[in-house]
Amino acid sequence: MSEIVERAALPLAQTATSRRPIGLLLVAMPVLLVIWLVIWPAINAISRTVWRTDVNGNAGFDLSSYAFFFSDTYSLGNLAVTLWTTLVCAVLLLVISLPIALYLRFSRGRLPAYVQALAILPMFVPSIILAFAFIRVLGPNGMLDILLNALGLPKIRTPYLTPWGPVIGLVWDNTPLTVLILLSGLGGVANQAIEAARDVGANAIRVFWHIILPRISNSILVALSFSVLGIFSSFTLPYLLGPASPEMLGPFMQRTLRDVQDPIGAMTQAVVAFGFCILFGLFYVRSVARNRGNR
Amino acid sequence: MSVLNIAEVTKTFSGGTNAVDRFSLDVAGGELVCLLGPSGSGKSTLLRMVGGFEQPTGGRITIDGEDVTHLPPERRPTGMVFQSHALWTHMNVFKNVAFGLRLRRMPAKQIREKVEAVLELVGLAGYGDRMTTQLSGGQQQRVALARSLVLEPKILLLDEPFASLDQHLRERLRDEVRDIQQRLGITTLFVTHGQDEALSMADRIVVIANGRAEQIGRPDAVYRDPKTPFVAGFIGLMNLIEGEVKNGHFIRSEFTTPLPIADGPATLAIRPEALDLTASNAPTARVHRVTDYGSHGLVDLDLADGTRLKSTVANLDLFQAGQGVGLLPRAVAAYRENQQIYRS
Amino acid sequence: MTTLAPAHPRIDWSGMVLALLLTLVIVGPLLVVATWAFTEVWRYPNIIPQQFGFRFWGQTLGRPDVWNALILSLRLSTVVTLLSALICLPAAYAFARMTFPGRDILFFSFLAGHAFPKFGLLVAIAAIFLQLDLIGTFWGVVLIQLVGTLMFMIWIPVAAFQAVDRRMEEAARDVGAGPLRVFWSITLPQAGPTIAAALLLSFVGTFYETEGAWLIGAPGIRTMPILMISYINNQMVIQYGAVLSVLLWVPSFIALMFARRIIGGGAFARGFGG
Repeated sequence: MSEIVERAALPLAQTATSRRPIGLLLVAMPVLLVIWLVIWPAINAISRTVWRTDVNGNAGFDLSSYAFFFSDTYSLGNLAVTLWTTLVCAVLLLVISLPIALYLRFSRGRLPAYVQALAILPMFVPSIILAFAFIRVLGPNGMLDILLNALGLPKIRTPYLTPWGPVIGLVWDNTPLTVLILLSGLGGVANQAIEAARDVGANAIRVFWHIILPRISNSILVALSFSVLGIFSSFTLPYLLGPASPEMLGPFMQRTLRDVQDPIGAMTQAVVAFGFCILFGLFYVRSVARNRGNR
Repeated sequence: MSVLNIAEVTKTFSGGTNAVDRFSLDVAGGELVCLLGPSGSGKSTLLRMVGGFEQPTGGRITIDGEDVTHLPPERRPTGMVFQSHALWTHMNVFKNVAFGLRLRRMPAKQIREKVEAVLELVGLAGYGDRMTTQLSGGQQQRVALARSLVLEPKILLLDEPFASLDQHLRERLRDEVRDIQQRLGITTLFVTHGQDEALSMADRIVVIANGRAEQIGRPDAVYRDPKTPFVAGFIGLMNLIEGEVKNGHFIRSEFTTPLPIADGPATLAIRPEALDLTASNAPTARVHRVTDYGSHGLVDLDLADGTRLKSTVANLDLFQAGQGVGLLPRAVAAYRENQQIYRS
Repeated sequence: MTTLAPAHPRIDWSGMVLALLLTLVIVGPLLVVATWAFTEVWRYPNIIPQQFGFRFWGQTLGRPDVWNALILSLRLSTVVTLLSALICLPAAYAFARMTFPGRDILFFSFLAGHAFPKFGLLVAIAAIFLQLDLIGTFWGVVLIQLVGTLMFMIWIPVAAFQAVDRRMEEAARDVGAGPLRVFWSITLPQAGPTIAAALLLSFVGTFYETEGAWLIGAPGIRTMPILMISYINNQMVIQYGAVLSVLLWVPSFIALMFARRIIGGGAFARGFGG
C-alpha cells in the first residue's frame, strides 16, 4: 500500500508512465468481478437461449424457448400482470412522491423535517418486515379489519394474495428513493426563477407547469427508470403478497429455475425482462454517468 | 547571500503550454519577495515548484546551495501557507501545529513548549484546544502560518494567503505577517495578485506575466519606473495610449506631446497624477465624468476618437462633464516593442 | 401550494395533512408489528390485545433455527463486508487519485449492474452458478451479495476520497510527512466517516438481502430474511414473525442513524442519478 500511496501523491509529470499499471492493478479485482458476475451472465443468458443444442446434439440458432414463452398463455399472463403492476406502481409512485418532494423543497422547519424523516423511513425497513406488516394490517382480520369492525363498517376485500398486494408493497418500498431523486432534481430549481414567475403574475399551478416541471422532467424520468427496473423483476413482495397465478416475472423465474429446474426457460424469461427494461436501463445508466461526469 | 536560487526554471504542461518559462530569481536571506501577477500568470506554479508540489520540466532550484529540484516536499526546508488554509479539520489547533514536530520525533514536552511559543507569536495563545472549524478565517490563517513557522523553515512560502479574507482583516494580517517575518528574519516568497499587498509588504517585487518575469525591483521602483507596458498597466492606475511618433511628437487623435524618439508606433504611459488639465481654446479632450474620492478627484476624459484617459485633480469644482480641456503631461514613459525606450 | 411562500407564518396545512397520512401509512404498520411482538393473546375483533407479555420472545429465542440463521447472517454480512472493503477500497482510492488508461470507462462499468432488472440478472447469474455447483453454498451467496455491494462500495468511497482537499495532503507533505503517513494521518481520517457509512450500508444491505440469498442459497443456506419467509408462509404462530421483525429492525435502525449523514448530504440521491 505504501508504494501505491507514494506514487499517487507524487506530482503528475514524474510518474505518469510508471504508475499506470498500479492504478489498473488496484481496480482489476472489482472490474473482473463485474465482468464475471454482471456482464458475462447477461451475455451467457442471451447466447444460451438463442444458440442451443437440439436432441441430436447439433448446436444451432434456435428461438424455440422464446416461441414457447410468447405462445404459452400462462407465461403471457405472467408477463401481462408484470407489465400491469409496473405501470400502476410507476403512476402511483409519481402521484404520491411528487407532492411530498414539492412540499419538502419549499418548506423549512420541524414539520417538513418530520415529513422527510417519515418519507425516507421505508428505505430502512427490509422488504421482508414490510411483507409481514402488510399481512398484519391489510390481511384477513388484520388491523384495518379490526378498526372497520369497531366502527361498525364492513370488512375490506383484502388485497393480500391479489395483484394489488405487490402494488401496495412496492409503492411503499420505492417511495423514499423516488422522493429523494425528485427532491434532488427540485434542488436545481432556483427560488428566484419561481419568484420571478410569480412576480409576472403566474399562479401556483402555472409556476409548477411552466417553471418547475420542465426543470425536473429529467429527474422524473430517472426516478421512473429506477423504479421500473426494480419493480419489473421484483421478487420478495410479489412472492409473499401476490397471487400464485398469474404471478409476476420474479417469482415465475425463481420457480422455473429452482422448482421446475429449467434454466433455459428461466434465462429466456430473464432475457425477456432485459428486453422490456432495456430502454429504462440505458436511460438510467446514461443519466447517472452524465450526472457523475459533470462534477 | 542568496538563500534561494531559481535558475532557468521551466514548467511545461501536457498541453504544451509553458506555465513558467525560463524563470530565474535570487532571493537573499531574510528578504520578502512578492510574486505579483494576474491569475494564470504562472506565479502559483512557480511557488509550488519551490515547495516541491510540482516538478519543473527544466532548470534548477537550490536552497542554501543544495539542489532540491527533484526532492519531494517533505524533504525540503520550506514551509507553505495555502490560500485555502488547508488545516486538518480532524485535528485541533495544537495537533495541527504539532504534527510536523511529532514526525520529527521531538519529545512531547519540547513540542508543547514550541507550539505554545509559536501560537503566542501569531496571537493565538490559549487556542490550542479549539477545533479548527471553530475558528474565524483570520484565525485559521494564523494557525496555518504557525504550522509552517514552528518547523523553522529556511524559506516560507505564502500562496495568496489572504485571498479568502475580507479587506479590513487582510490589511491587519499583512502587517502582522510582515512584522513576524522581519522579527524572525525568515526568507519569504509571497504570491499575490493584489498590488496593494505587494507594494506594502515586499522588499522586492517580481511582476510575472505569461510565466516570465516582466520586471524585478523594489516596490517604489516598480511603481515609478515600469519597464514594460504590461507592468505599467498592471501596477497602479496608468493611462496607456497607443499612437504614432512623427518629428519628435507623439500623436493620438487631437492629442500631441513632445517625445524625442525616432518615428514609428509607440505606447505612451502617463500616470493620472502626472497628467495636468488646462483651460484651452483648442481643447484636445472632453470631460466625461468627474468623481470625488474625498482626498482627491478623478476626471475621466475622452479624446476625439473615444480613447478614455484619467487625470487626478485637486480642485474638482473647476471641471464639469462636457467641458473641453487641454492636456499637459508632466512625466511620461514611452514603450516600443514591449521595451521602455524613453522616460522623462 | 401555500408552501411556495415559505415566509408566511400561517398554519402549514399541507404539511399537517402529509405528516398525518405518512404517520398512518408508514409508522402505523410498523407499530402493529411491534405490538404483535409483545402480545400473548390478541383475538379478532379486539382493538388492543387481550394479554401483553414476553412469552413469545423466550420461545422465539429458544428456537435453534433462529440462532442458526442469525449466526449465519452475521457471518455472511461480515465476510461480504470485509471482502468488499478489501476489493473496493484500494480500487476507490485508485479511481479517486490516480490516472490510468480506461479509468472513466472502468469507473462507469460498475453501473452495468444497474442497467438490468435486478432479479433477471440474479437468475442469469444463478444459471452460471448451477454449472459451477455454487447453488446452495455459502460462497455462492457471498459472491452474489458481493455483486450487490460493489457499486456503492466503489462510488461512495471514491466521492469520499475526492472530497479530501488535496491542499490538506500537500500541507502534510510540506511539514515532513511521507506519502504513507499522509494517507494514514490525513486522507483516511478525513474520508473515514463516509467510508464507515458505506461499510455499514454494505453490512446491513447484505444482512437483509433476500432475493439473491433465496435464489442462490436455498435450501442449504438459511439467512434471517429467508427464515422470515418460511415463517410468513408456513408458521401459524404470528408472534414468531413479529418478534423476529422487531429483532431484525434493530441493526437497520442503527444503519438509519449512521447513514443519515450520507443521505442528508444529497450525495446518496445523486449517486442514484437524481
